[in-house]
Amino acid sequence: MSAALPDPVVQILQVLTIAGAAPGVSGVIARVEARLQGRRGPRVLQPYYDLAKLFRKETLAPAGASWFFLAAPLIAFVCYLTVPLLIPVLTSYGLPLGYMGDILGGGFVLALASFVVAVAALETGSPYAQLGSSRAKTFGAITEPVVLFVVFVVALVTGTDLPYVLAATVRSSLEEIVRPAHLLAAAALFMVILYETGRIPVETHTGTNEFGMIEEARPFEHSGPYFALLKWGSAMKQLILYTIFVNVFVAPWGLASSGRPLDVVLAIAALVGKAAVVGVVVAVIDNSFAKLRLFKITEFVSAAFLLAVIGVFTLYLGGG
Amino acid sequence: MNPPSVFAGGANVIAVLVLLVQFGMFRQALRRDQIRLYAAQSALISVLAVVVAAARGLPELYALAGLSAALKVVAVPLVIRRLLRGSDTEIAGSAAFGLASTVLVAIVVGAFGFFTVGALDIRSPVLPTTALALSMSVILVSFLLMVVRRDVLSQAIGFFSLENGISLASLVVAAGMPLILEVAFLFDLLVAVVVFGMIMRVHHRRAASLSTTELTRLRG
Amino acid sequence: MTTVLVLALLILPLAVAAACLWLPVSASRTATVATGLISLAAVVLLVPGAAGHATVLWRYLRVDAISVVFLLATAFLYASVAVYSVGYLRDEPGPGFRRYARRFYAGLNLFAWAMLAAPLMSSLALLWIAIEVTTVVSALLVAIENTDGAVEAAWKYVLIASAGLGIALLATVVMYYAGARALGQPYDLTFASLLGVGGHLPATPVRLAFALAVLGFGTKVGLFPVHTWLPDAHAEAPTPVSALLSGSLLAVSFYAILRYYQVALAALGPRFPQGVLLAFGVASLLLAALYLLDQRDVKRLLAYSSVEHMGVLAIAVGFGAPIALFGAFLHVLAHAAAKGNAFMAAGVLVHRYGTKNLASIRGVLDRLPWTGPILLLTMLALFALPPFGIFRSEFLIVAGGLGASRTAASAVLVVLVTVAFLGLAAAANRMLFAAPSDAPGAAAARGEPSAWMVVPLVAGLVVLLVLGVHPPDALSGLLSRAAADLGGMR
Repeated sequence: MSAALPDPVVQILQVLTIAGAAPGVSGVIARVEARLQGRRGPRVLQPYYDLAKLFRKETLAPAGASWFFLAAPLIAFVCYLTVPLLIPVLTSYGLPLGYMGDILGGGFVLALASFVVAVAALETGSPYAQLGSSRAKTFGAITEPVVLFVVFVVALVTGTDLPYVLAATVRSSLEEIVRPAHLLAAAALFMVILYETGRIPVETHTGTNEFGMIEEARPFEHSGPYFALLKWGSAMKQLILYTIFVNVFVAPWGLASSGRPLDVVLAIAALVGKAAVVGVVVAVIDNSFAKLRLFKITEFVSAAFLLAVIGVFTLYLGGG
Repeated sequence: MNPPSVFAGGANVIAVLVLLVQFGMFRQALRRDQIRLYAAQSALISVLAVVVAAARGLPELYALAGLSAALKVVAVPLVIRRLLRGSDTEIAGSAAFGLASTVLVAIVVGAFGFFTVGALDIRSPVLPTTALALSMSVILVSFLLMVVRRDVLSQAIGFFSLENGISLASLVVAAGMPLILEVAFLFDLLVAVVVFGMIMRVHHRRAASLSTTELTRLRG
Repeated sequence: MTTVLVLALLILPLAVAAACLWLPVSASRTATVATGLISLAAVVLLVPGAAGHATVLWRYLRVDAISVVFLLATAFLYASVAVYSVGYLRDEPGPGFRRYARRFYAGLNLFAWAMLAAPLMSSLALLWIAIEVTTVVSALLVAIENTDGAVEAAWKYVLIASAGLGIALLATVVMYYAGARALGQPYDLTFASLLGVGGHLPATPVRLAFALAVLGFGTKVGLFPVHTWLPDAHAEAPTPVSALLSGSLLAVSFYAILRYYQVALAALGPRFPQGVLLAFGVASLLLAALYLLDQRDVKRLLAYSSVEHMGVLAIAVGFGAPIALFGAFLHVLAHAAAKGNAFMAAGVLVHRYGTKNLASIRGVLDRLPWTGPILLLTMLALFALPPFGIFRSEFLIVAGGLGASRTAASAVLVVLVTVAFLGLAAAANRMLFAAPSDAPGAAAARGEPSAWMVVPLVAGLVVLLVLGVHPPDALSGLLSRAAADLGGMR
């Protein structure tokens, strides 16, 4: 057994894992989805080729767009690179910068990324991009309470709102897993993730139906490397959310408990595996439900809200 | 906050599912789905009865669970479907308010029941108090269902699920009730179901719909 | 002896109900009349025994003074309605009528059976079941006319009353929990065992159970704010059923509240249960009094009058004084006789004039030589004028209230009863005395539709008079015993 890797190295590995694996997870989902629909589908590695191609293309900006239009993809990408520092991607123990921000902190950073993308979309003057960003912010506002209540549940269960602590709590005993508050919060979070990653029943991920678009409409006017950054960023956001879902809420097992290289490698494999499983589930959902009409999205969100609120309730009498 | 035991947590999860099914009834658009949802809710109650029977050593609850499953999961849905056969009108859009606002109101109503029971401090040796509080939420939300859905089927299902909520409550506080009484309750429910079904059928024959919006003749 | 009588009450109506589904109409008619009279006789024979002591049969059946009071009300109405129906349901040719009559008689007997069974139950759980059976059977009877109004009324009734009984079931469950604390599990929820451990029952669950029971069974009693089904069902049901609903079903549901009241009194003392009943009673009385002022439908008018009288009952029990309780039990009997009479007389009017609209019913005294005067006297009885039974009972109730220094509530009672009197009197005055107008019903011919419909009216009037002038000693003994039982004095 070799010596343990120093913590900073592991931490950097967390970021690299997310950045590196994100397009792959998207590829898996696209592949599985195609298979479920009876098509052969693209290769799993296709997103990497797409990104590589986009990076080689030239950049165009709409007339009248300010510097912010081009800065936004960079800012968003940096945000997505920051969040993996805060959450348990590979290790079950907290890394030096892991306590820099709690769940809310991570949420703020993600929200900042989404905000700058929306502002950049407004810069373009393109109707679809603007439509997408205004919708994203509208529905974002109503999913916010859900996220808050999920955080409340976590806070009530653990007494903190640090993701590492919750993951440790869940790992500690079976009782922590079957308690209704935990299950409800996890379910609510999953529904929020479906919304945030632009999946059915909120939005068709690969569709070309502009009227129903929310997430997908925003980078309409970007091109070249900037567009690549946005695509990569949204793949990373997806993997980050999946990571939070599995490593904090649902299955915080398979994480490295020390910095030994073997452990870390296994943890990387486990993370990719678990994210792929979540991806498959998402793909199945994508194929089994219809997209909701735009005005019905409030119903979807209200269902998530219901789950989160009941989760908080059950904690009140000590039965959650 | 300390977690409840595995048994209590599991029982609470089932109770929570009962409540969630109750919420699901607010939006169900198809007649048969509404009935199925009721059957699912009843099945959850039976499962909980089995869990309690196994964990607390109350063998007569097995009999109760079996009987209640036979009646509420199989017989009642069958009877309702029979009696409403031929009424192909659907019940979509019979809600008086939008779904999201209904859910918000229902959360408030359910919370009222939940915290009221919490304040009463009724403790049971069989199940955690949370389950009782949840059952109270189920009962209140089922009342709301009867109020906001304007079709006879949803209203009837509202009453049946009210009874499910009471079954849940009785599992918590009256698990040792003599079996003969429980059985009598169940058969009584079956009679009520038949009568509900017959009146629904008469209503459907007369009005050619399951909606209750026409029922406004009698007032004052 | 008691055993035989109780079994007769429990078996005979049920058997006749089943038989009515097969027998030809004329045979069902005879059988129903016979059963009604036999049931009445059986209950009357139960009176002396019950005035002395409670009898428990096979653990789940129980006859005591309180239950016999309600049995009397039910059996009396059962008998009169059975006779009345002979005239009400006259032969018409065709299979439609035969089917209707079969259902009607089967339902009527089953309904009466359930109402006779409820007061005989010794356990709160069985009591609930019997009352739920009365709901579903009577809902079908309300729907039997198969008109738009009848179906609407039946739907409202079955939904609201069932939901109310759902709450009552919850009350039963909570009461079981309270009892299990003192008695251990499992036990049978009988009143006797609960009363036996009265002081040891935990307070909060009993309080909860009592409040839920008042709200739940109160739905069927017609207490405000859960009375909304009542006027519709009473107005749309066939007249014999309306009479049973008003005079006996409401009372039997009130009986269930009384059983919870007994337990609550033993466990909590008088303050809480009496306060709850007073609040519900005053609210119901207020609502009914106001609605009585402006009614256009004769049967709805009478239905709201029922709400009024149930409010009076609740207030009387809320007073808690022995005299008021005695008055309450007397009120149950007098109200059954008076309201049964009023509904049956109204049925004759509807029959004769072909409308329920008060504006069209004019000059009744002129048109109906028997029913007219009887209706007048019955109305006087409902106004609580002497020498009728309701005067005596309400007088006792107010006296009891004043004696228990519930002065404010007594004053409210008197004022509201007077307001109700105004409403009823105005309507009755128009119906009975106003000159026949050009309204559609005005062309109605003179003469009684059927002698069968007059006989029970006369009987009811006689009962009202007897109760008002001088109740028989055996009955007084029964009522005082019931009042003593209910007041917790044993």
